Amino acid sequence: MSSTSAPLSAPLAARAGRARRLASSPTLSFIVRRLLAAIPVLLGVTFLSFVVMNSLPGDAAQELLGAQATPAEIHQLEIKLGLDKPFLTRYWDWLHQAVIGHLGHSLSSGQSVASILGSDLPVTFELVGFAFVISLALAVPLALVSARKPNGVADRLSMMFSMAGLSIAPYVLALVLVYVFAVKLNVLPAIGWVPPGQSVWQNIRYLILPAVSIGLGLLCFYTRLLRADLLEQMQGEDYVVTARAKGVRPWRVLTRHALRNSLFGLITVVALNLGTLLGFTVVIEDIFGIPGIGHELLQAIDNRDIPVIEGIVFVFAVIVVLCNLAADVLYSVLDPRIRYGRPTE
Amino acid sequence: MRYVIRSSRLAAFAACLFVVAAVVGACGSSKSSSSSASTSAGTTPSSSATTATGAPKTGGSLTVLELGGYAGAWPTGLDPATNVNGAADQDQMNSIFGQLFQLSTGGHVTPDLATSATPEKGGTTWRIALRPGLKFSDGTPLDAAAVVSNWKRDLANPCTCKPILPPVKSITAPDSTTVLLSMAAPDGAFQNQLLVANLNWIASPTAIKSMGEQAFKIKPVGAGPFTVVSDTLSNTLALKKNPNYWESGRPYLDSLTFKATADDESALEALQSGGAQAYDGMATPSLVSTYKSHFTTTEQPATSPYDIQLNTAAPPFNNKNARLAIYYATDAAIIDQKLFGNQFQVVQGFTAPGGLFYYPNVPGYPAYDINKAKSLVKSLGGLNVNFFTLASPVNQNFMEALQTLWKGAGINTSIHLYSLAGLIQQFDTKKWQAALQTAGAWDPAAGVGLGFRFLSQSPFSGVHDPKLDALILGGQAQVNPTARDQTYQKAAQYIAQNADGPFLFPLASWNVAVHGVQGPGLTTVIPSVVVNTAPLWQDVSFTQ
Repeated sequence: MSSTSAPLSAPLAARAGRARRLASSPTLSFIVRRLLAAIPVLLGVTFLSFVVMNSLPGDAAQELLGAQATPAEIHQLEIKLGLDKPFLTRYWDWLHQAVIGHLGHSLSSGQSVASILGSDLPVTFELVGFAFVISLALAVPLALVSARKPNGVADRLSMMFSMAGLSIAPYVLALVLVYVFAVKLNVLPAIGWVPPGQSVWQNIRYLILPAVSIGLGLLCFYTRLLRADLLEQMQGEDYVVTARAKGVRPWRVLTRHALRNSLFGLITVVALNLGTLLGFTVVIEDIFGIPGIGHELLQAIDNRDIPVIEGIVFVFAVIVVLCNLAADVLYSVLDPRIRYGRPTE
Repeated sequence: MRYVIRSSRLAAFAACLFVVAAVVGACGSSKSSSSSASTSAGTTPSSSATTATGAPKTGGSLTVLELGGYAGAWPTGLDPATNVNGAADQDQMNSIFGQLFQLSTGGHVTPDLATSATPEKGGTTWRIALRPGLKFSDGTPLDAAAVVSNWKRDLANPCTCKPILPPVKSITAPDSTTVLLSMAAPDGAFQNQLLVANLNWIASPTAIKSMGEQAFKIKPVGAGPFTVVSDTLSNTLALKKNPNYWESGRPYLDSLTFKATADDESALEALQSGGAQAYDGMATPSLVSTYKSHFTTTEQPATSPYDIQLNTAAPPFNNKNARLAIYYATDAAIIDQKLFGNQFQVVQGFTAPGGLFYYPNVPGYPAYDINKAKSLVKSLGGLNVNFFTLASPVNQNFMEALQTLWKGAGINTSIHLYSLAGLIQQFDTKKWQAALQTAGAWDPAAGVGLGFRFLSQSPFSGVHDPKLDALILGGQAQVNPTARDQTYQKAAQYIAQNADGPFLFPLASWNVAVHGVQGPGLTTVIPSVVVNTAPLWQDVSFTQ
C-alpha cells in the first residue's frame, strides 16, 4: 500500500468525514458493544435450551414413530436424523449452521425452520404488538388521571381495577373473556385467526380477545408503575416546584414535565416485559387456536423437534436483546442529558 | 404504599364487578335458555342414537373442532405413509383420501372406494376389488396400480403408522380394479385392520411425484369427498368439496374446516359462540350434561377398556398370588360409580360393548373380594407397587382411586405419571411393575389391540407366555368369524385364569353437533376404531 495517497475530491472527503464522525459516535460504539455482549447471551440461551431438551425423556424419533415402534426402528430413525451423535457434536452442528443463517429443518414436518418462523412470527408479532398498544394506550391516561388527584375517586377506582387485573392469570382471563364476549354477548369470535390480507376488520376482531388476555395484566402493571413514578416526580422534584411557581397549570405540569421523566421506568419495564409477553403467547395462542410462534413452540416441545425449538428460542432471545438495546438508546432520545460514552456531568 | 385502598371499598368494587358480570351473563342467558329449551326436546339422553333427522340440505360450511395434541395434531403432515398420528387424524385423512372400507352406523364395515375384500388361500391372500372409474381430485386414475404403489410405499416406510401384518410376500395388480395381497401367514382380520391403518387411504402417486413428498404432506391429493384449500399444521385444515367425488350428490357440504382446540371447555365455548358447529371426541364426563343441554351430543360406543398391566417377568408380579391380590383388591364398579357416575360398562376382558367379540362375563375371572386380597397380601408379607401411567387428569384420578382401594387390602402404591416418551422409557427398562393402560380395539387384532398389551414380542406387553401368544395370533389368523370368536373367548379366559391383568371399563367419547347438523357418526352411533368415532363426512349435512 502506498504511503502517499492522491488528494480526495471534495464530495469524497465529505463522505469520509461523515463516516469518521459516525465511527467515532459514542452511541454507535455503545450499540456495537452491546451487540457484541449479546453474543455470549445468545450462545448461553441456545446451549441451555439444547441441554434442557436433551434432558427430557424420549426424542424426536420416538415421538415420530409413536408408541408401537420397536427400539430397532427408533434407533434406525435416530441415525437418519442424526440424533445418535454426541450431544456436543449436535449442538456444534446446529450452531455452525445457524451462524451461516441456516436454522435447519423441522424433524416432524420437514419444513425449513426459517419458513416456519417466516409464517408464524408475523402472527405473534401482531398479537404482541396489539397487546402492547392496548396496554400502553390505556395505561398512560389511567396513570395520569390517577396521579392528578391522588386518593381521589378516579385514583382509587383505577388502583382497584389494576389490582384486580394483576390478580388474574392470562389463561383464566382468556376463558372469562370468551365466555362473556363470545358466548354470552356473541360480539367477538372465540377461536381462530384471519390473516389481515384476507380481511383487516376480521383480523382485528379475532385478535381483540387474545390481545386483551395478554395485555390486561400489563396494562394494570404499567398503570401502577407510571402512577407511582408520576407522584414521585410531582411531589419531590425541583422542576415541578419551579413550573408550579411560574403558574403552569397542574395538568400541564403532569403531562408536559412529569410524564416525560416518568417514562424512563416505563420504557425499561416494557422492554424487559417482552420476554414475558412472548411466553404468554404460548398459552394464549393455544387457547384461541392462533397459528403463531407460541403455538408452534408448544407443538415442537411435544414432538421433541429440537431444530424448531432452537430456532424459536434463538429468535426470541434476539428480539429480547434488541428490545433492551432499543430501550437504552431511547433513553438518550428522551433525555438529552444522557449520551452514551460521555462522562456524566 | 402510601395510598392504601381500604378492603371494604375493594370488596365493594369486586361486588360491583360481579354484579356487572352477572348482568352480562343474564342478558346472554335469556337467549341461550330459550335455545336450550328447544335443544333439550331434540336431544335424547345418554347414548342418543339419532337426534337430527331432517332431510339433508346440500351446501353450507362446517367447522369441526378437534382436540389439540390428539385428533387436532398433525405435526408430520397428512401423507398416509408418514403421518404418524394417522390413527388419531382419521377425520382429516378420511375427508381428503376417502377410505377403501369404512365403519358405518351400527358397526358394519361397508365399501367406499373398494367394493369388496375376499380372503383366499385360508386368509394368506386377500383380493381387493376397487370401484371402477375412480379418479383422484387431480384427475389421475385411482386404479389398482395406484393402490399397489401406495401400499408398497406405506409398508416400506419405517413409520409405525403402517399396520402390523404377517410378512408380506407380494402386492400385485392383476387388472385395473383388482389388488392381490399375499402374506406368509393367514390374517383373517385384514379387512378390519385396514380401518385403523394407513393402507385404507390412497394418495395420488402422480401428485406425490410432481409435488414432492415435502409439499404433498402439507397439501395432499386424494379421491375423498374434499380437497385441501389450506393447511396450517396442527392448527387449521380448510377443505372444499371435491367436484370429482365418485358418489353423486356427495358430499353435502361445500366446505369443511378442522380446527384444533385446547380442551373440552374451550371447545364448548367455541361451539356456544358459533365459532364451530361440531366437535369430535369430547371426553370429559363431567361436561356431558352441559354439552347435552345445548347441542346434539352422541355417546359413541367405546371399544378399548382400561386394564392394569402387570409385568409378569419381574417381581412382585412374577408371583401369581401378587397378581391375584390386585384382581381381588380392584373394584371397577365403585370407581365407575364414584368417578364417573356409573356411566360406563365394567368388563372382564379386552373388548368392550362397542367392539367385536365382547364377552360381558369371563369364566374364572377373579372378581373383587377384599378379604381374599387382604389374605393374599398377608401371605406375601406385604405388597408394594410402583404404578405408572400416561399423565392426564382423568388418569390421575383413576390412579388415586385405585391407590385408595388397594390400600384397603394392605397394598402400598406409589403413583408415577409420565409423558408418552417417559412412558415408553418405563416399558424399555423391562423392570416396571404395574401400569394403567387401555387394551383392545374395535377388532382385537387391529390397532392398539390385544397383542399390543399381551403378546410376548410386543415391547409394551407385561406377559411372555407362548400359550397366550398362540391364542392371540390364532384369533387374528382365522378367517371364520365363529372360529375367531371361540379363540378370543379362550384367550380372555386364559388371561383371567393366569391373573395376567385385571380389566376395568372403557371410557366413551362423545361427538357433538349444533342443532341443524346431522350425519353418521356425528349424530348417530358408530363404534370408535381407535379412540374417537370418525363421522362419515361425505354424508354430514345441514338439515332442511
